[in-house]
Amino acid sequence: MTGQKPEPIEEIRKRFKDEWLLIKVTKHDKNGFPIEGILLLHTADKQELHEAILNLREQGEMGELMSWFEGPLVPEGWEVILSAFSSL
Amino acid sequence: MPSVRFDPKATFVRVPARIVGPKGVEWLGLALDTGSSRTVISEHVALRIGFNLLTAPSVRIATASGIVEARVVTPRQIFALGETADEFQVLVLPLPAQLRSDGLLGLDFLRRRNLFCNFGEGILLTLPFARNFLHRCQLVTHLFAAL
Repeated sequence: MTGQKPEPIEEIRKRFKDEWLLIKVTKHDKNGFPIEGILLLHTADKQELHEAILNLREQGEMGELMSWFEGPLVPEGWEVILSAFSSL
Repeated sequence: MPSVRFDPKATFVRVPARIVGPKGVEWLGLALDTGSSRTVISEHVALRIGFNLLTAPSVRIATASGIVEARVVTPRQIFALGETADEFQVLVLPLPAQLRSDGLLGLDFLRRRNLFCNFGEGILLTLPFARNFLHRCQLVTHLFAAL
């Protein structure tokens, strides 16, 4: 964990590449989108991010946590076909 | 009116979404997917915000590669693209780690408002449905200003 003081989320995002960011949101814009937060973790390992959030919740963290990958949305050479259909 | 910036050159359109569960609130990146009839979150996210997937009901879904079973959970709230939906059912699926997104924002959420997309500039905008002619004129003004 790299907990520090709140800073603009755009500034945090500029510092990292190809990593998951875990940010505790501390401020929103007038439309409700997060604009400021505290960087809690940066890692290339999605599983590490998942476990960090679980640990925080177990410790009683009830705030807004933001997980965001900074970089390409799939690894180089991969393509994506999404979509799910349900009649529920 | 809220607009959302996205990377028009990225593999898919990712939008930020806030999801409120029984034990936590998370902001995620969801893939905007007009080909999906339902909104989907990953199993990891569902667990983190407090859902018990062992007791959640399940449903069969068709995907491009076959039939799979998904759990169904109901977050207290989802907020994305300026729209808030309370008690909104979503499907839960295991998503591959190579997908740097935590779910899909599907048609069941998207059709709650009109959606406008500027792929040249990477701007998404949603507007409420027009109530009358005057309201429609106001919305068009917002649309041109934003896009």
